[in-house]
This record gives sequence, structure tokens and C-alpha cells, in this order.
Amino acid sequence: MKPIQKFVTAAILCGVMLFQAISLKAGNVREELAGSRFKLVHESYVNNNWELFVTSADGKSSVNLTNTPGVNELYPQASPDGSRICFLVDSGTGRATVRSLWVMNADGTGRKKVVHQARQPCWAPDGETIAFLPQEYPKFNVTDYYTKGISFHHLPSGKTREHVNTKPLHHLYNISYAPNGKWIVATVHAGMGHRHTNLLIEANGSKIIDLGIDGCRPTFSPDGKHIAWGAGDHELAVVPIDIDSDNPKLGKKVFQVFDKQNKIYHVDWSPNGRFLSFSRGPNGKGDLTKPGTYEAACEIVGVHAKGWDIFAVQVAKGGSVTIGHKPVYEWMSLTRNGHSNKESDWFLPPSK
Amino acid sequence: MSHWQFTSALGLLALGLANGCGPAPVSPAKPRSITTASGVPMIVVPAGSFQMGSNDHEADERPRHEVRLGMFLMDQFEVTHDLFVKAQLPNPSRWQDDSRKPVERVRWREAKLYCNERSLMEGFTPCYDEAKPGWPCDFTANGYRLPTEAEWEYAARAGSGRLYSFGAEAKLKANGWFADNAGKRTHVVGTRKPNAWGLHDLYGNVSEWCQDVYEPDYYKSSPVQDPLGPAEDGSDAKRVMKGGSWKASASMCRASFRKGQRTGDTDACFFTDYCGFRCVRHVMPDEVKSLLAKAAPEK
Repeated sequence: MKPIQKFVTAAILCGVMLFQAISLKAGNVREELAGSRFKLVHESYVNNNWELFVTSADGKSSVNLTNTPGVNELYPQASPDGSRICFLVDSGTGRATVRSLWVMNADGTGRKKVVHQARQPCWAPDGETIAFLPQEYPKFNVTDYYTKGISFHHLPSGKTREHVNTKPLHHLYNISYAPNGKWIVATVHAGMGHRHTNLLIEANGSKIIDLGIDGCRPTFSPDGKHIAWGAGDHELAVVPIDIDSDNPKLGKKVFQVFDKQNKIYHVDWSPNGRFLSFSRGPNGKGDLTKPGTYEAACEIVGVHAKGWDIFAVQVAKGGSVTIGHKPVYEWMSLTRNGHSNKESDWFLPPSK
Repeated sequence: MSHWQFTSALGLLALGLANGCGPAPVSPAKPRSITTASGVPMIVVPAGSFQMGSNDHEADERPRHEVRLGMFLMDQFEVTHDLFVKAQLPNPSRWQDDSRKPVERVRWREAKLYCNERSLMEGFTPCYDEAKPGWPCDFTANGYRLPTEAEWEYAARAGSGRLYSFGAEAKLKANGWFADNAGKRTHVVGTRKPNAWGLHDLYGNVSEWCQDVYEPDYYKSSPVQDPLGPAEDGSDAKRVMKGGSWKASASMCRASFRKGQRTGDTDACFFTDYCGFRCVRHVMPDEVKSLLAKAAPEK
């Protein structure tokens, strides 16, 4: 083989190897999620109604779990074992709306109302208790921080109790339980002496720690070693945390998601902690021609978000990802219909 | 007829004349105050005319032009934390150390919602239609609403044609909370001097939402009688804010100063900690007469 032929051959081989490397990497998000049994439950607005859908982790299949025309289901949260889903139901209209807490099996059967006037629930690690935020006043308001205190509903006994330190807890939203059961993380706006921040609240005590980070809607990773949150309208971020400490502190950001044009909100971890899901779409203030919705910032629960979809990114490798830009193997859309797809929550359904 | 009834009758005669017969601004010797059914003090702002804007300052204040307005009621103070909570609304304010302070970080839509809540509390027809996109305002309804920009400036001037109703800028410290004296925070309403019509804090403390869409050139085409601002186009347009705030310069507190402010209606968290408001209500002379008759006698 002549030198020139060797050079050409080597160049072609290098090109093929590079292409294979890129292709392999390009398949990472989609291929790994396609091979998983993970599902995501999320809200969508279809046929003039809020419904809950369960979508496969690769986005290839999606099922209307509730299919209840005239009943507005929102904000689904899967139990730690993936067997049940708690969610909110809005009934009535305008300031007479009642937002209540319901539970059902992960296949949509066995629906049951458990708490009247409740907001933004999350499961405790025991899988039997649901923490939720009581509404601030009886009259409905769509504002996310329209809450007072924290309460817990124990499903086996049917009893509801207040947090031991509920009195000073004011204007919290989007609570998330630490996997060790020790902490609840939440955002506070114009309450508890804070302009706006994110707090660690002792689940069974009175300690409250200001995490000192802007943004909102923090959520623990499945192993409790990280928190992901919306650091701004166009940024999601992940930082390490030591939840076994009595005075947990945050580390530096280890992963960020950016979207320069669209809003990105409602971040949630996959059960194996390798992926994040989130909602993404254009800025807006709702659409009052849609029954059962309200006029406010479109990322708020109960507000129609035109053109919003659920996305997934790979978090395991760290660094940062910019949505809408190449390389596309780092992110993918799980829904594409733009039907106000929001509030996704990953889960691993029980084996049959 | 008692002394106060006689005085009220004279005042009403003046108001009625101004409302129906002439454009001259009326500066009642004593401010006419009523208290609403939910306990909110309001001032009877007489009908009249004034010169709106300024030819000597910012481009959007030009041209100075004549405006005529009918009679209306205006809150004597900015809406406070107490009033917001009374309406069962989540208080968004940055400073929560005293419930007599004005609410701030209030989105434009939240201010309108408060107006409707107060209307419902007092048995009036809400001005804002919450079922329609953008919550359009029915100016003929008898409920509460945000003031138009013209109503706000007319009330702030209280019959004066100067930069401030009280005169020179040097007097601003006694008449309002602004950057030079506020200490970087809001203050309890009514703790500075009122203007000639009895209205407090129009200069400083918090800037106040108006109903109007903000358009820099609007004064060039603004109607003389009861201007309502540029036409709504359904977009989330900037709205007019007036009056300056705790963080504003003295110049930004001038009666004619205007600012186009984003509404915050598309923000989940609205951090603009100088946005507050007060309410107005359209009234006819007969109703004012009845309201004043219920008011406490003057001493």
C-alpha cells in the first residue's frame, strides 16, 4: 500500500471511529431510557380538561390515566414504590374553586379523595404518609405560595396531623421529602421573614435552614445526595447536599440545564438518579378560554401553558446542557403535542 | 340644619357645580373624606380640569395638555398589608414587619383582583371581568378599579400646577418617602403630610399601578375628557406607574413623571419591590351626598 493510500485509509478509519463514537453517544439518552421500565406521570390539558397521563421514559407511548371529562386532575406524585399516585383535583370555578388531595393506584383504579383543600403534596419515604400544604384562606387563589403550614395525611389510619412546627410555616410551595425522612425542602415567597428563598425544614422538628439559593421548586435526588431546582426561568441546577448532617450545606453546582428562549420548570429525578425531567415552553399567562384554568404565570399549577412539553436530560455526566442546541444526544423531548404538559414525576411501576 | 350639614351642603354645591358646569379645578378648603363599608377611608376628588404632563422634563411627559375629569373617590392611602389580607389574598410584600405598610411586589393582575374582592365585600359590581382574557375593565361598573393615569395625576396635583402639589422639591422629605429619606424600605402609610385634598403618599413610598397601557407618545393623541389610555391590544403590555417610591429619586416622584412597568403577570415570582397601588371608584353627585351624610360631622 502506497503512503497516500495508507493515509487515506487511516483518515477514513478515523472518520468511521469518530462517527461511531458520536453515534453511540447520540443514542445515550434515548437508548438508555428506551431500555428502562421507568414511567413518568404528568398533567396535560386535553379536550378542555386537565388529565393525568403516564408516558414511557422514551416518550414513545402515552396513556390517559384519568380520562375524566369535567374533572380536573393536576400535580401527580408517584409513591416511593411506584404503586400509587397522589394528585390534586380542582372542582368549582373562580374563587369558589376547591383544590383537594386524592390518591389512586398507579393504573388509575381505586381513586379516593383524602383531604379537602390541599396543595402541592409529596410522599414521605414510608410510602404511607403524604405531606401537603394547607391553603392560606378558604377563598381560592391560584397563586402557588397561597399556603399556611404543612400537614401530613396518614393513609392507613386516614388521620391528618399538622407539622409539629406548623405555625410559623407560611407561604411555602413545592415541598419535597428527603429520602432519609429527616428533611423537607421547599420554596418560600414573602413569608417567614424571607423575601424569597429555599428552605430545609426538619420534618419532625423545628429546625429551619435557609439554603441561600434563589429560584424555586427544589427536589431531592433518589439517594438524597443532591438537590435539583429551578435556579431561574431559564436554568435548572444540581448541587450536592449532605442530608444526614444536622446542619446540611450545599456544594457548588455540578450540573446545569439552560434554555435561552423557553422557560424550563418542574424538575424531577429519574428513579436511578441518572436523568432529570422537566417542563419546557414559551412564556405566557394562561388562557381563560380554557375551562378549569386560570390567568397567571403559565408555570403555575392550574394555569394553561400553551406549547409546553416534557423533556429529559442526562444528569449523570455533569457539566451543562443547553436545550434546543446540539448535541442533541444530551436531551430529548418525551411529549411533543404541546398540550400544557407539566409537573412530571418519574416512577418505576411494580413488577406484575 | 346643623353646622356640619350646612358646610357639607355648600361643599356639595361646589362639587356639583364643578361636575356639571365647569372645568375649573376645585380645591375644597377641607378634604371631603368618607369611609367605605369595609372601613377604608377615601377622598372625594372633585370634578374639574388640569394641565397634565410637562414640557420641561422627559419626552414621554410631552406635550402638557388639558384634561377634564368627572368626580371620583380615591383611597386616602396606598393599599396596606392589612387590607390585602382582609380580602383573603396572599401578601406578596418584601417587607412584612408592619401590616400598616403598603403592599409591594404586587402584579398588575393582583391589584385588579384586590379591587374586585373589595367590590364584592362591599356589594358593588366588580369592574374587572375575571372570566375574559386580560380581565377587561368596565368603567361604568360601580365597583373599585385602578385609577387611570389622568385620575392619578389630577389627584396628586390637587389643584396645583407645580412639579409637586406642595411646591418645591426641598419640601419632598416632609411630604413623601423617597430615596433620600426612606432608608431603603417602605414605611407605614400616612406618616408623611397629605396633599391639599387629603391624599397621602402619592409622592413616594410605593409606586402605584394605573389602569392605562403605557405608550410614550400617548399624550400627543390623548382625548381631553376622561382619557382611558391607549387601546388594549390583548398583549401583556407595560402599564403606567406613577408617583415614585422608597427607592426613587426626587425627580421620579414628580406628579407628571410616568414609568412603563412590566405587569409581572407572566412571572411566577414577581420581585419588583416598589410596585403598589390604591383604588378609585366612580361616583355620581347624589351618591357622594349620601356618603357624606353618613360621614362623621366635621368639628
